[in-house]
Order: sequence, then C-alpha cells, then structure tokens
Amino acid sequence: MSILTNIPPMNKFSTGKVALSIILTSESVFFATMLVAYIALRKQDSWPVEHTLARLTIPIANTAVLLFSAISAWCGTVSIRDRKTSGSQGWQMLTLLLGLVFVTIQIYEFSHAGMRINDQAFGGVFFTLMGFHGLHVLAGVVFLIINLVRTRLGDFSPNRYEAVELGTWFWYYVTAVWVVLFGALYLL
Amino acid sequence: MTVLAQISSKIREGGQSGFLSWMMTIDHKRIGVLYLLSAAAFFMVGGFEALLMRIQLAQPENKFLSPDLYNQIFTMHGTTMIFLAVMPLSAGFANYVIPLMLGARDMVFPKLNALSYWTFLFGGLFMYSSFFFGGAPNAGWFSYAPLTEKLYSPTQGMDFWIMGILLLGFATTIGSINFIVTIIQLRARGMTLTRLPVFVWTMFVTSFLAVFSLPSLTTAVLLLFLDRELGAHFYNVAQGGSALLWQHLFWFFGHPEVYILILPAMGIVSEVIPVFSGKPLFGYKAVVFSAIGIGFLGFTVWAHHMFATGMPSTTLLFFAADSFLIGVPTGVKIFSWLGTMWKGKLRFDTPMLFAVGFVAMFLIGGLDGIHLAVVPVDWQLTDTYYVVSHLHYVLFGGAIFGIVSGVYYWFPKITGRRLQEGLGKWHFWLMFVGMNLVFMPMHILGIQGMPRRIYTYGAGRGWEIWNFIETVGAFIVAAGMLIFIINFFVSLRKKATNETDPWDGYTLEWKTTSPPPAYNFEKIPTVRGLRPLWDEKHPELADWKAGE
Repeated sequence: MSILTNIPPMNKFSTGKVALSIILTSESVFFATMLVAYIALRKQDSWPVEHTLARLTIPIANTAVLLFSAISAWCGTVSIRDRKTSGSQGWQMLTLLLGLVFVTIQIYEFSHAGMRINDQAFGGVFFTLMGFHGLHVLAGVVFLIINLVRTRLGDFSPNRYEAVELGTWFWYYVTAVWVVLFGALYLL
Repeated sequence: MTVLAQISSKIREGGQSGFLSWMMTIDHKRIGVLYLLSAAAFFMVGGFEALLMRIQLAQPENKFLSPDLYNQIFTMHGTTMIFLAVMPLSAGFANYVIPLMLGARDMVFPKLNALSYWTFLFGGLFMYSSFFFGGAPNAGWFSYAPLTEKLYSPTQGMDFWIMGILLLGFATTIGSINFIVTIIQLRARGMTLTRLPVFVWTMFVTSFLAVFSLPSLTTAVLLLFLDRELGAHFYNVAQGGSALLWQHLFWFFGHPEVYILILPAMGIVSEVIPVFSGKPLFGYKAVVFSAIGIGFLGFTVWAHHMFATGMPSTTLLFFAADSFLIGVPTGVKIFSWLGTMWKGKLRFDTPMLFAVGFVAMFLIGGLDGIHLAVVPVDWQLTDTYYVVSHLHYVLFGGAIFGIVSGVYYWFPKITGRRLQEGLGKWHFWLMFVGMNLVFMPMHILGIQGMPRRIYTYGAGRGWEIWNFIETVGAFIVAAGMLIFIINFFVSLRKKATNETDPWDGYTLEWKTTSPPPAYNFEKIPTVRGLRPLWDEKHPELADWKAGE
C-alpha cells in the first residue's frame, strides 16, 4: 500500500461531494456579492431608468436549452447507476451538445446585446455576470467531456460513478445560477 | 514521457532530500515548512518596511523617504503582513500540524495543497515585482475605489496589487477547502468533533471564513480591474456606479479577514496554555462555541469600518451594537485561558511566555476595538493613529505573538531540536517591551489627532516625543527579531535530540517521532478523549475515565 493512501476512519460522507459542496457555496457567495452590488447600484438615483435588454426570445430559448441539458445530465447519471452505460453515453453527449449550443447562443447574444462593457454601469454588470456564468458553463463542459471519455473507457460502474455525479451536480449548479441571473438581468 | 515518469516517481518517494524533492513535494509537512519559511521571509520584508516608516516618522519634517515611496511602503507593509505573512504562517502550521493532530497520513488533497503553496508564493513575488515596474501599489492595503481608479492611480502598481490579490485569494481558497475536507474526512477513529484539538477547530472556522468571505474581495478587485482596464463604471458615480460599493465589498471580506488572522493564533494559544499549565483547557466547549460565534458575528459587522461614510443612523446603531457583541465570545476565550492557568503547575518556557503575552496584548487590542465600535468615539478617532494602535495590538500583540508561540512550541517537532531557551527569553522580552513602546503611544497620538498614513508632520503639535519613542520601540522589536534569527540558526546547528514529546504534550502530534516520518504514524491511533496522548501516558488518570 502506498504511503499516501489513507483509509479514513471517521468519514461519513464522500470526499468529492463534501469538497464540491464547499466550492459551490463559495462560488455562490461570489455570484451573490455581484448581484447585491448590482441591486445596490440600481437603487441609486444616478441609475439609468431604461436599459436595452428588451428582447426576451433569445434568453428564454437559452433557459430552455440549459433546463433540458440539466434533465439529460440527470438521465446520464441514472443510466450509469442502472448499468446502461451506452445509454448514459448518449445522455452525456446530449448534455454536452446542449451546453455548447448554450455557449454559442450566448456569444450571439453578447454581440447583439446593443451595449458594451464600458456603456454605463449596467454594461459592466451584464457582461461581468454573464461572462462569469459563461466561464462556469465552459468549465462544466470540460467536466462533461472528461466524464464522457471516462465512461467510454469503462472507468465507471454502478458502484463507482461519483465523478459523473459530481459533474451533474456542477451542471445543475450552472443551470440554477443561470435562472437567477436571467431573472435579475432581464426581468428585474 | 521518461521525464514525466521520473518526476512522478520523485513525487511518490516523498522522503528524499535535495532541491528538486522540495520543489515537487506533496507531503503536508514539507509544504507546511515551505509555507512557514516563505511567510517568515515576507514577514521580515514587511518588518523592514515598518522600520523604514518609523525612521521617516522619527522626527518632524523628515526627508528620509519621498512621499510617493512612503505611500508604496505603507501599502506593501499592510498587504504583506496580512496576505503574505500572517495568513500563510497560520496556513504553514495548519498544514504541518492538522494531519498530525487528526492522526492522518496527509491532507486529503496533497496535490491541491502544493498548488495552494506555489500560487501563494508566486502571488507574493508577483506583487513585489511591481517595485521594478514603475512603482508598487500606493493606495493603502484596502485600496479604496474610486481613489484606485485609473484616473487617480495611473501607475501599474494597482494592477499588480489586483492580480496579486486574485492569486493569493485563489491560493487561500483552495487551501481552506483542503483544510475543511481534511478535518471532516480524515479524523482518526474516535476523534469526534467534540474531541478535536482547539487549534484544529479554529482552523476549521478560519477556513470557512476564508471560503465565504474571499469571494467578496474577488468581486471587488475584479470590478476594479474591469473599471481600470476595460473602462467599466462600477465605481464611477457619473456613469451609474457607486463610490461606496468598494467599501462594502471590501469590508464584507475585510472584517471576517480580521478573524482569519486572529483565530489560528487563538487556537495555538489554546494548545500551548493547557500544556504549560499541566491542566486540560478550561471550558473546551465554550472555547469552541465562542470560535464559531466569532466566525458568525464576524460576517455581520463589516460596516463598523465605515462609520464615517454618512450611513443612516439606524445602520450605524445596528453595526455598533453588533460589534459590541463580538466582545462576548472573545471574553469567553480570555476567561477560559485564565481559568486554565488558575492553580495550574505553570512552566514559563518561551512558548508559554508568548502565549501569555498574547492574552495580555490581545486584551488591550480588543478593548481598543470596543472603543472604536462606539460611533461618536469612532467619528473622532477614525483614520487616526488610535486605529493603527488597535489593529497592531490585535495583529502584532495578538496574531504574531500567538504564531511565535507556535514556532517555539512546534520547532522541536519539525526539526528534532529545541530553540535555545535563553535567547528565546531575550526574544520575548525585547519584543514585548518594544511593541508596547511602539504601539502604546499611538493611542495618545490618535487622540491628539495625528492621522494615519501621513508622510510627515509639522513640529509643535506635541507629536514629536511620542513618534520618537515609537521609532526606538520599533528598533527594539527588530533587535528581538534579530535574536530570534540567531536563535533559529544556532539551534539548527546543534545536534538533534529528536525528543518525541519535549513539552509533555496532550495531542497526537507528540506521539510520533520528531521529525515525523513521511507517513506520520506507523499505526493510526485511536482516540477516546480530548487529550489522547495524556490518556496514553497516564492510563489511570485518563480523561475518558473521569466521564464514566
């Protein structure tokens, strides 16, 4: 047995899940402070009354894309648990594709938002929040690709598929953050 | 591929010597030592900067430093001491000691641990490299925007600061996640949360504080960066931004940060005082709950740094009352240390001297804090030397004394040799007398109205004598540190005695050899009480028997 392998005696949880929960909570504080900053800025008298994000078709479509991808991510996890490895590959592939579709639509939306990062404070708020969410989506995509490759290589079994679960958790998180940001930036 | 294979086999071997083995180590003890040594080096640099400032302020109208350089020096002094000295010194001890105290073989994510250290080191060096690229940051360690906007701070120093802070924040965040998961997952059989050593508890709370408060700093500096480099307007009032936003974001991090700095030192002191009093810690659960309480309250008091910004009076009242509340858990800790010493068999070895010094100095600093939480008093004293005095009593008399106590306490474990007692006592008394000479007169200067961060001052205000005394005190502290450095090298050159348990300790790190083998414990110990090693040494008096 290697020196570094430690069989921990008091652990009741999975190490990966504990770690990811803490990471995601920390991330949430980041998004929360950004949102609170945005709300504080809006409450100032100097805040511009109108902004240009009137068209809702694209963001609504994008919300649908992400929500579907979250469902397919869930299906991908469940199929591994139920020993349907090839089915899981299909679901994971679909999640990945939907994630890439989302990113593509986001890039289109960025170039057609009718403002830039240096257009008043709202431009900064919009591109910072959306940009950081976009980076999280890309990180999630990388996570999904790794899991897909590992599934193909036969790394996972019904007893051992935590990485897929964690990837799915991260993907849920990305989706949830999007829903909040959509509400805050487009609807508020 | 062969190179990679060689590297990975080197990493796996761990217990080797040589430069490369330190560069690539993922052993928590070696990373801990790297943290301690790098942070000590930064601490010396920060101390040198303090000396430069004290020379400049020794007499009125002094021209020792230029005004611009003075600004850079005090900014880097604050940034260094907080982010590059005290935080990584605590992280160094935590890395070294926590797995040993838990009865574990390493941290839960050893590679992440190495990443955390190297990011910290390069973040610090990166920030310091700004001296060679047109000047260091010069807006103070809390870098208030819009002062730090490009229009008002056109040099690149601010950009170095921003990116350095992002790197250091990243390093601390992943380090803290590693501590939290290690403490949750890698405890030896029987080590329930109520049997966790207090130092582990305080690092647990500290890590949560870091993970939940640093994102706010990240947000703040990121927005500043976007403002400066991409022309966004977060802190620009004319374009819908806010001049107060930075202060809220910064202090929502900045106040928990104060506890990130002090809680580990409180943990060290809570380990040292019981061992050198020959008694268990008085009120263990109260100490643990007070640490958790300080952690929670720490998140709710940030605006007491902003009393002078014209906030509504109800806000002022809330934050003032809330700040007083923190005195309660802090007081609980002070009484628990006193209660531990009460009727104990006291041994005043150097670790104990620094621990007791910590209690006394931290008490003064804490009481100053209560004064400053009174809104009208704060209006009078804000941004004066009174604040400087307060923060140095808690961070120098507090955090640094606690950390130095830890250095003397764990040095025999890390190196197999004790630090020399005689020189240790000189170190303590010089530092104790020196720091009071530096920081006590700052109370008077503050009340007399001397603002902090001024480059020089005119004669005839009654400030000269106090400033001169402070400069003398600063050199006495420096002499103490010099003696410590001598002690460090003299003790290292002595033949190793490799005492396993030099202080008659209570916790598991004293169970294994000094220095411990790469795998820490041959057999993972089991734990039945708060003082596992005491139980083992005194089976008839074991703590767990008292409970039966």
